[in-house]
Amino acid sequence: MKDKRMTLKEAVSKYTWDGCTLNIGSICAREPMAVAHEIIRQGRKNITFVTDTTSDPAELLVAADCFSRIEAAYIWIGVVGQGYNIRRAVEEGIPHHIEIEPYSNYTAGLRLMAGAMGVPFLPTKSLLGSDIITHNPKIKVIDDPYGSGPVALVPAANPDTTFIHVQRSDMAGNCQIWGMLGNDDYAARAAKNVVITCEEIVPTGEIRKIPNMTVIPEYVVSAVVELPFGCHPLSVTGCYWMDNPFRQEFIKASRTRDGILAWMDEWVYGVEDHKQYLDKVGRDRLAKLQELEQDNCMIPEIICRTREGM
Amino acid sequence: MSKYAEDYTISEMMAAVCSLQIKNDDVAFVGVGIPLMAGAVAAATHAPEVIIVYEGGGVGAKSRRMPWTISDTPTTDNALAATAMHRVFGDQQRGFITVGIIGGAEIDKYGNLNTTTIFGENGTYHHPKVRLPGSGGANDIASSARRTVIVMRLEKGKFVNKVDFITSPGFLSGPGAREKAGLLGDGPSAVVTDRGLFKFDQETKEMYLEAIYPGMNVEQIKELIDWELKVSPQLYVMDPPTVEQITVMRTLDPMGTVLGRKSLRGEIEPFDVYYNSLKKSYQSRTITL
Repeated sequence: MKDKRMTLKEAVSKYTWDGCTLNIGSICAREPMAVAHEIIRQGRKNITFVTDTTSDPAELLVAADCFSRIEAAYIWIGVVGQGYNIRRAVEEGIPHHIEIEPYSNYTAGLRLMAGAMGVPFLPTKSLLGSDIITHNPKIKVIDDPYGSGPVALVPAANPDTTFIHVQRSDMAGNCQIWGMLGNDDYAARAAKNVVITCEEIVPTGEIRKIPNMTVIPEYVVSAVVELPFGCHPLSVTGCYWMDNPFRQEFIKASRTRDGILAWMDEWVYGVEDHKQYLDKVGRDRLAKLQELEQDNCMIPEIICRTREGM
Repeated sequence: MSKYAEDYTISEMMAAVCSLQIKNDDVAFVGVGIPLMAGAVAAATHAPEVIIVYEGGGVGAKSRRMPWTISDTPTTDNALAATAMHRVFGDQQRGFITVGIIGGAEIDKYGNLNTTTIFGENGTYHHPKVRLPGSGGANDIASSARRTVIVMRLEKGKFVNKVDFITSPGFLSGPGAREKAGLLGDGPSAVVTDRGLFKFDQETKEMYLEAIYPGMNVEQIKELIDWELKVSPQLYVMDPPTVEQITVMRTLDPMGTVLGRKSLRGEIEPFDVYYNSLKKSYQSRTITL
């Protein structure tokens, strides 16, 4: 059994670099904010961010001037706010102009699926007739050679590195995910390097009890980081619920450039690592978020049935 | 006691009207905001057998808590399936999703929606006046759901002759255009606004006013719309939301997170108020599985 465990600092240092192509898996639930914080602390620049839909982590990485280009379906903070940082970047070039290559959620997923299957593109009946095609030169519309009419082709994506947060993994990177999967099964297989962050590292024997839950097998994984509460203030199914008051503070700070710089000084640059961040959030608060989630959803304990005489 | 609520907000009226667009035998894809609430209200009232599908991969959840996005943890509470985003969108392209509900920022008379960018004077795609979120899954829903319902507020400058960017296709340039483009779904069937309900003419594919809300008037609605709006000869005034619908909404969304009572004003609730309010909301609901 390979031991791929390392610290978040080591994983970000080894698997991201200036100018790399980056994907951070999942959407809203299981989006690892702690990864965004560490990328910012290590001062990465000129990253091309490839994703489907993303919320708080991308907003923060834009604010910290880590990105030069985004290929995505949706960059915003929905429901509780809006994308103040992405708006400032695109509309005013602050801190730095960002080009967005537009996709839809399905077609962003198809790009990762193509990347994961080792084919150059996939066809779809989405996007047809829309201006996503007008403003994205990579999407081609052809006549289906088998006669169904027009189809749009989307190019494969193979990011340099994908970070995916899961509930549990063993130390080799066999990952089990509860709740919705987003496009993570393909995002992992499409990437050249995969860093798994997880709430808990479990013995491989636990994984083997319920192999149908293994979404990502160890052979696609480069590193495993145990990172409890790695998604705070976002949620993780069966673990903890969203901390909206915290997000609202972040969004309020994002309204002005000075506001978000001060927020980052306090919450990103002002802490040494994720553990210090969690101490600053407060253990009592984190316990309450666990309670709000686990009142509604718990990860089942796996007990294998045994036949008599075995 | 009347079955209708006397005290309600316009957002609640929109959610109630939108929920009635969802039928008991639908498999429904619901987008962020009022569509999420409409799905929850439909499931809790007139459409108990509806299967709500969320973009992240949640299918048929039965939750005591309101999802705030299309992929947060309540979208798989007691769900029938927790699968992947590409899977549910594939299911939609295959034709399994009967209705999709999406919001928009700008719309034209053929129901083409823009949620990507407002160019402004001399603006371009990469240098616009206003950048918006982008498609998310809306383009896919508008392309392939069998029918789509659009939810947006009727404000001056938003119901325009030509949208700056077609994020999600309606009837494109009119009759026959969707078929020519190769789109699978039948296109928009209704637009739910804060003043009335709009539908689309079967022949011309043009949006017309079908019904107005209590207290609204047609002339004021016409003034907010850039094209020459047609009005149904059978125009009627819609019923207000029922007490039952409003009770469901306020129990599920005690802080107005989804319907924007607080979040739009930028108010921040202290953590303990947040915790206690959610705790109370969960405890007040029993789910039968």
